[in-house]
Amino acid sequence: MKSIRNYTRILLLVCAMALVLPAAAYAKSPYTGYIYNSQDDDKPALNGYLYADSFDGYDMTSGSFKSPEDLFVTPDDTLYVVDSGNNRVVHMDPDTGAVLTIYGDKEGKGALNGPKGLFVAKDNSVYVADTGNKRIVVYKPEGTFDREFGLPQSELIGSDFNYSPAKLVVDKRGYMFVSSEGSSLGLMQIRPDGSFAGFYGANHVPFSMTRVFVKLIASKEQRDQLASARPPEFSNLFQDNEGFIYTTSLGIRFDQVKRLSAVGVDTLNSGTHRYGDYWMKEVDGEVEHETIVDVSVSKDGFITALDQTNGELYQYDKLGKLLFIFGGRGNQNGLFKTATSVAETSDGAIYVADRERSRIDRFYPTPFADKVHEASILYVDGKYNEAMKPWQEVLQMDSTYDMAYTAIGKAYYRQHKYKEAMTYFKLGLNRGGYSDAMFEYRKVYIKAHFGTIMTIVIICFILLQVLLRYMRKRKIAKKRSEFLGTMKGGGVSGSH
Amino acid sequence: MEAIKLVRQSLFHPFDFFYDIQFEKRAKLINAVAIMAFACVARIVSLMLSGFAFRTREAVDVSVPIEILWIVIPWVTWAIANWAVSTIIDGEGKFKDILISSSYVYLPYIVLIIPVSLLSNLLTLKEISIYGGIYYFMYGWMAVMLFLQVMIIHDFEFGKTVGIILLSILGMIIMWLIIVMIYGLVNQAIVFVVNILKEIRYRS
Repeated sequence: MKSIRNYTRILLLVCAMALVLPAAAYAKSPYTGYIYNSQDDDKPALNGYLYADSFDGYDMTSGSFKSPEDLFVTPDDTLYVVDSGNNRVVHMDPDTGAVLTIYGDKEGKGALNGPKGLFVAKDNSVYVADTGNKRIVVYKPEGTFDREFGLPQSELIGSDFNYSPAKLVVDKRGYMFVSSEGSSLGLMQIRPDGSFAGFYGANHVPFSMTRVFVKLIASKEQRDQLASARPPEFSNLFQDNEGFIYTTSLGIRFDQVKRLSAVGVDTLNSGTHRYGDYWMKEVDGEVEHETIVDVSVSKDGFITALDQTNGELYQYDKLGKLLFIFGGRGNQNGLFKTATSVAETSDGAIYVADRERSRIDRFYPTPFADKVHEASILYVDGKYNEAMKPWQEVLQMDSTYDMAYTAIGKAYYRQHKYKEAMTYFKLGLNRGGYSDAMFEYRKVYIKAHFGTIMTIVIICFILLQVLLRYMRKRKIAKKRSEFLGTMKGGGVSGSH
Repeated sequence: MEAIKLVRQSLFHPFDFFYDIQFEKRAKLINAVAIMAFACVARIVSLMLSGFAFRTREAVDVSVPIEILWIVIPWVTWAIANWAVSTIIDGEGKFKDILISSSYVYLPYIVLIIPVSLLSNLLTLKEISIYGGIYYFMYGWMAVMLFLQVMIIHDFEFGKTVGIILLSILGMIIMWLIIVMIYGLVNQAIVFVVNILKEIRYRS
């Protein structure tokens, strides 16, 4: 009897313990986190973002979405969705799911036809790239039609120019920067009065060895038949809160994301920087080409780029260093079929529009990502010492995150703790940093041990001298004995 | 003691050394094998010892068999190519002499590579020219030894030696290409047979 009571007690205790334990629900993510380390090797890493939920519009007053093409987040964290298949723009609050306004769904001048992009100005007027009607439409914040811009008249735009406005941003002066699909001339700069202000920030034709070679051997007729090399076209635009315009380009493997200065020069990439995946999947013997279709920059400067080909999102810090990779292609929640746009709210949530699935997926950063962000913000600003603690916490969560080692190494370097700096640079596989730390460490070491080192050097010098003298002596002795040997042999006569 | 004498003579008096090696049965295969073994060991040890800043590869990227192949294959293919080329153009060297004497070309490598690796622990990337300089010196020394080896073993004059060396290098490259090609073809043949067997198994 007693034993049974004991068992019951134990059972009760176990039940009580189970209640005390947090019953966290772990949904397994359909993608596993990975990162390219400083050696460009892909290494497993903790997931930075996890799928939370989706908006498909069914339970909203707007009705279901159809082929969303673009997302825009305003400073007050409301979301504009270009609902391209329904020829409208939906303004919604992602926290409550409430629809605030719908633009372009009414008959009349404001009716949209396959819009592909939008921008919301500071005064909340909505600029929509009405791709099907080859125009840009501006709506008043309350949803009524305000004005429209067709193709501007200018000699710079050739007569055979195929105008197909797809994405746009509007700067503080009210100038529109429009990317026209299939155009390689750059962004079209349109003044607030609708006149053309010139092309802006055009890409360059990347250097190609094959083209040089073909040009070298082809005849003039053959050369005329070849398709002329065109600069890569822009796929999307983003304006950050400092007013910089970020662009994404198609058909190139390097510098797909750019930050353009006021004169249209890339200020993000020094040298060539590769965005997206380094090892694309091979399909039928052909390596797939990445298609960076959108980019979003958070208020802290984190750049999130979206690759449509493999459905993955890549987050970089302000300097373009890779932080996280997430997403992918597939049917599960958290993967995409044809991702078209990415946007980020100030709470760190990332929204991704999926054209084929007609829905918008929301991702939240994990605690790991929050820690990395916290450390990265300080680190990028050069506050290495303040960033040291968060980076150490990052390493406690993921000890293979080698950017953290380099960052801690830099902090130690700045604190003149060169030996520790060397250790951390080594762990972070940072040869340059290691070498710099060693340079300082060596200096300090020699200064501290100058007496010992000099003593050793002097002793070595003396030993060497002694050895040399001994050897010389032996050589002379050997020579003399040889000489004497020949003397005895009677070869030489009458020396003395 | 005898070995040290040989090494000293080959390093500092290569003229006499390569001349003498053809006579009195001084060319012993065991010496060549020992030198190559030392070269392999020196390479692997130097990879482990070199300073972090100068390390181009991590320990996980180093495969001992492949490192050994990197040492041994150039030696063997060089000997074969050089023998083949020089026999046509009336060189005097026998294959055994060529094989053994060309192994001595690795001696500067064996002598210098480990001290250089140790030194790299004390150097930073700012002093990379010292590191590189020693490497150039080492390779230069090896090149001189190789040149003298060909010239003396075959009793050629200067111009002809240069020509023979270039031809031998070409021969080496052709040999490697053929090896790679045969590897590929055999691989495909094996895959073909395996596929047929699989097909038969599915159908039966």
